[in-house]
Amino acid sequence: MSLHSRRHFLRNLGLSAAALPLLGGLTSLGAAEPVASRQRIIFVFSPNGTVPTEFWPEGEGSNFKLKRILQPLAPFKDRMLTLKGVNNFVRGDGDSHMRGMSCLLTGIELFPGNIMGGGGQPAGWASGPSIDQEIRKFLQANPATKTRMGSLELGVAVGNRADPWTRWSYVGANQPVAPISNPYDLFDKLYGQMKESESMVSVLDGLRSDLATVARSVDAKDRALLDQHTTALRELERNMKEQQTAVVLQVPAAPAVGVMLENDNIPVITKLQTDLLVSAFQNDLARVSTFQFTNSVGGARMKWIGIEEGHHALSHDPDLNTGSLEKLTKINVWFAEQIAYLAKRLQETPEPSGQGSMLDHTTIVWTNELGKGNSHALEDIPWVLIGGGLGFKTSRALKFGKVAHNRLHLALAHGFGHKLETFGNPALCKGGPLALS
Amino acid sequence: MPFARLLKIGAALMAVGAVAVGARQGQRYYKKNLADPRSGEAVYRAECQRCHGSMGQGVAGNSDEPLVGEKSIPFLAKYIAREMPEDDPGALSLAEATASAEYIHQAFYSAEARARNNPPRLELAHLTERQYRESMTDLLGAFRRGSGVTEAGGLVGVYRESLGNDNTKGKKSFNERRDAVIDFDFGKGAPEKGTNAQEFSISWAGSLLVPDTGEYDFRVTTPNGARLYVNPPNRGSTEERRESGGENATIDLWVSSGMVRAGQGKAFLLGGRSYPLRVEFFKFKDKTASLKLEWRPPGGAWTVIPTENLAPQASARVDVISVPMPPDDASMGYERGVSVSREWTEAVAKGALQAAALLAPRLHEYAGTTATAADRPAKLKTFILRFAQLAYRRPLTEVQQAEILKVFTPGITEEVATKRAILHILSSPYFLYPATGVQDDYAVAARLALVMWDSLPDDILTQAAAQGALRTPEQVRTHAARMQKDPRAKAKLRDFLHHWLHVEEGSEVAKDQLAYPGFDQGLVMDLRTSLDRFTESVVWSPASDYRQLLLSDTILMNERLAQFYGQKLPEGHGYRPVKMDAEQRAGVLTHPYVLATFSYTKSTSPIHRGVFVTRNILGRMLKPPPMAIAFMDDKFDPSFTMREKVTELTAKPACQSCHVTINPLGFSFERFDAVGRVRETDNAKPVNAASEYTAADGSVLVLKGARDVALHAAESAAGQTGFVRNLFQSLVKQSTAAYSPALLEQLTNRFRQDQLNVRNLALEVAVVAALGAPPPPITVAPQR
Repeated sequence: MSLHSRRHFLRNLGLSAAALPLLGGLTSLGAAEPVASRQRIIFVFSPNGTVPTEFWPEGEGSNFKLKRILQPLAPFKDRMLTLKGVNNFVRGDGDSHMRGMSCLLTGIELFPGNIMGGGGQPAGWASGPSIDQEIRKFLQANPATKTRMGSLELGVAVGNRADPWTRWSYVGANQPVAPISNPYDLFDKLYGQMKESESMVSVLDGLRSDLATVARSVDAKDRALLDQHTTALRELERNMKEQQTAVVLQVPAAPAVGVMLENDNIPVITKLQTDLLVSAFQNDLARVSTFQFTNSVGGARMKWIGIEEGHHALSHDPDLNTGSLEKLTKINVWFAEQIAYLAKRLQETPEPSGQGSMLDHTTIVWTNELGKGNSHALEDIPWVLIGGGLGFKTSRALKFGKVAHNRLHLALAHGFGHKLETFGNPALCKGGPLALS
Repeated sequence: MPFARLLKIGAALMAVGAVAVGARQGQRYYKKNLADPRSGEAVYRAECQRCHGSMGQGVAGNSDEPLVGEKSIPFLAKYIAREMPEDDPGALSLAEATASAEYIHQAFYSAEARARNNPPRLELAHLTERQYRESMTDLLGAFRRGSGVTEAGGLVGVYRESLGNDNTKGKKSFNERRDAVIDFDFGKGAPEKGTNAQEFSISWAGSLLVPDTGEYDFRVTTPNGARLYVNPPNRGSTEERRESGGENATIDLWVSSGMVRAGQGKAFLLGGRSYPLRVEFFKFKDKTASLKLEWRPPGGAWTVIPTENLAPQASARVDVISVPMPPDDASMGYERGVSVSREWTEAVAKGALQAAALLAPRLHEYAGTTATAADRPAKLKTFILRFAQLAYRRPLTEVQQAEILKVFTPGITEEVATKRAILHILSSPYFLYPATGVQDDYAVAARLALVMWDSLPDDILTQAAAQGALRTPEQVRTHAARMQKDPRAKAKLRDFLHHWLHVEEGSEVAKDQLAYPGFDQGLVMDLRTSLDRFTESVVWSPASDYRQLLLSDTILMNERLAQFYGQKLPEGHGYRPVKMDAEQRAGVLTHPYVLATFSYTKSTSPIHRGVFVTRNILGRMLKPPPMAIAFMDDKFDPSFTMREKVTELTAKPACQSCHVTINPLGFSFERFDAVGRVRETDNAKPVNAASEYTAADGSVLVLKGARDVALHAAESAAGQTGFVRNLFQSLVKQSTAAYSPALLEQLTNRFRQDQLNVRNLALEVAVVAALGAPPPPITVAPQR
């Protein structure tokens, strides 16, 4: 089945009367409220380290030149910050890939455990929450910033396992959050109830007709019960119509059926997930998201750009293997293109809460579990920030002198007005939030 | 207004208005001494009608409750003579009071009069909650392969050298064995001598046997890696594909963290069915290894899942609709679907949506097609019509077919159309109001499946309907007997037994821990198990003898119960029959669970016990109490026994109209304390359990204690009739009188002729309900 022939996925439909919530619990949805300027954040993960020579921009400060990997993001250069010298200093149990992943957003050690990696001691889950969940908790605690879901944890082709390589978002110690890698599941989570209402309403006429037929066959004294039933259905319908006026959601069409969750469909799935994420933000269902391509040690085979080998296997090849390096560069270019698509969608969508585009109110944080694949280095983790809303001074390539990534997380939290003094391992927070504004 | 309430007012008037009444006596005296007393009707019209209405129906704002009840004419006469009319009690002569009592009794008061004036009829009703859930589960399960199991006895465990954290790769197993329960502490060692203590894995598979319907909590406790799957999709099915990552796991503790963790999960399950169950476990270099699997049944306490609830054979997944539903009308003492609220309609809509979601991943499999097949639309439509036929319990009319298939229109994808068709079918009155419309063999089959299973007809029954083979009582009885062997029939009778003995109420029993140390939730759960096993063993024994339920002198006990009740436990395992004092104990009535249920936290409650026996065991009617009076223990003379307190509390005439029946029955159980142990003293005085009880037929019985109550219930027509009525209403959800005024007596006679066999009684009830007519009288010896 051709995946390219599918109709354009996100066809915004005005919500019909039928699509309104039947089953309650949605009353706070998108109701018009006096809005403060919204702030949002999206953490994007791609695996196996980058190719430093093709990734880090030339120059420093506001005078910098993008190299190959970041070229697709050139349209957003003035909204961009690259951060070099921001390291993952968390040590302890688990191999570099495990810590690279599960300490990336948590900044804290893994528990000792029963999961054996490629070296070091077996380990378990992270022993604290991740920064996305910390920010979520902060926003959800305030009625002015609370949303129906708070955060969305998305994935594309995430390994079908739950272990420290496949989880980077944590509600708390020992509490990893499983990402949703299936766009159909994501659609159901976001809009399922509304679609269900629509379906339910569509059968009401048929039910009334059935009731009328049955009523003719029963004792006159029994018709009262069927009358009650008819009345109850009418009330149900009226209730839905009353909610119609209160709801101003833009509900996208459901993903077309038949996209199998397999390697070759990664581009299609990525687009579906991205569009659903933008739609969810547009409807203010959440303000925090993680977006995880595969997982730590992910082995996507990017046949669609002519690469047959798995990503992780390639990332182990030595730097002298220029063929592999070229492929790794192409792989990272492809990831950058996906982020560019996300940024573009945000930029072309007017901010529902007020001025500018959604990108003006959303910061994308693209990162990786390693600095470099073949050395398994946790130094010089590639951090790219795109967008606005957190008060950072963009259009800069910054170089730090080996600072702990916990301090970046503090800066992100402070950007939301959440003045944390430490996050993750307190010893790694010395110096406070990185100065990004 | 009931007599009792009138009495209350009358008594108050007498107390405060004695002078006024006395002043008017001369006038009434004249009437009283008329040589020729008026007729009963004339008295009623002159003295009673203005408050009670022309037919005793009451008068709004005055005496607004109808004059109905089951008191005898002499009782009514005495009462009227003493208390009526309200503004001038004692004004009628005894002759006039008697005449009016006779008139009231035959005109509208008695059950016979009520039946004659307003003959009960078979009322239209929607599925009750239980019927709805059972029907939905069987409907969704009709397309599945695989079956349930009933043979309990632990799980099969496969022990492997090590799989590490990746359980998808096979490693050699070193042992496969039956484990009775999952509660292991391997310490630092290996599960078997000579195997690797550092790295090993175990997987258990089998079934969970669930006794009662409700939400079950599960708990896994381990320092290692473990996953629990309760009722996951069938292995190898399309739904299962995503399972290896633990997505369908009820509890996922796969990744350890150097400490013992407890994970919890829950599942809503229907009683009387078996569910697939799997536990995956592994150790990898953790310091120690242990694993415990517990559950908390609805209303119960945490306990290791017992052997008798585990089976080594894996059963098929069961689809359960778990949406909460508003409670059914129970004003008649049994659940009936006789009102429709918006909440109910919404719950039904949610249930349909849940069912559609459960079906969605299997639609192609069930329809026999694939996502890309050319015949897909046709196959989906065929599936939908078959689904509707099962749900509507009959072949579809052309109109019904057209109505259902209307949703398949060009603008809508087949997925959406199929889903909408499912929603339509499951919200349709044809599904929700069974056996409406043509009264043919399919209607008989629908009613029979409801009375036997609370569910849908199976294939065999539907075929019989198609062949017109459900016409005679014999034909229907044969099917009923076949269906009675199904676990669903057992589950339904268990539901009746629970209803009969108020078992669900007992799950909330709590006792004062100072007064009854050791009587905790765990003990209550053991008692409940003991009672359930006893009643079921009697009902499903060959004789299935009603009297056994009331007269047995044994109680099933395990170690904990034997210790608490100070009994010596015979050799054996699990629950064993312990012979009790035959002078005292009498089956379910003196089972500690029942006695504790109908007691206060610190003391017995003769009133609760008496009301329970009056209504549920002797089948007598009691009206709600005229006034709410709290039992305040400290308000009595501190030297009083419980019997003395109750006697004082209920001494008023307003109370006595009912307590004259309740109290003697309740007092008979005074030899049992609030947790069902035998006692000889109460408040340092010897217990007095003897009393005189006036039966419904007016005869007076001298009761020495609980066993005399049980003998009366077991042997008398009153007790047996009460049981038949209880069983009938619970199974059929209609009153016996709706079929014929004589049905109750006919069924009771048949029950007696049949040696009071409960199972056979259930079959006869099923025949009546299915055919909608009373059974012919027995002319030959009943089938055994």
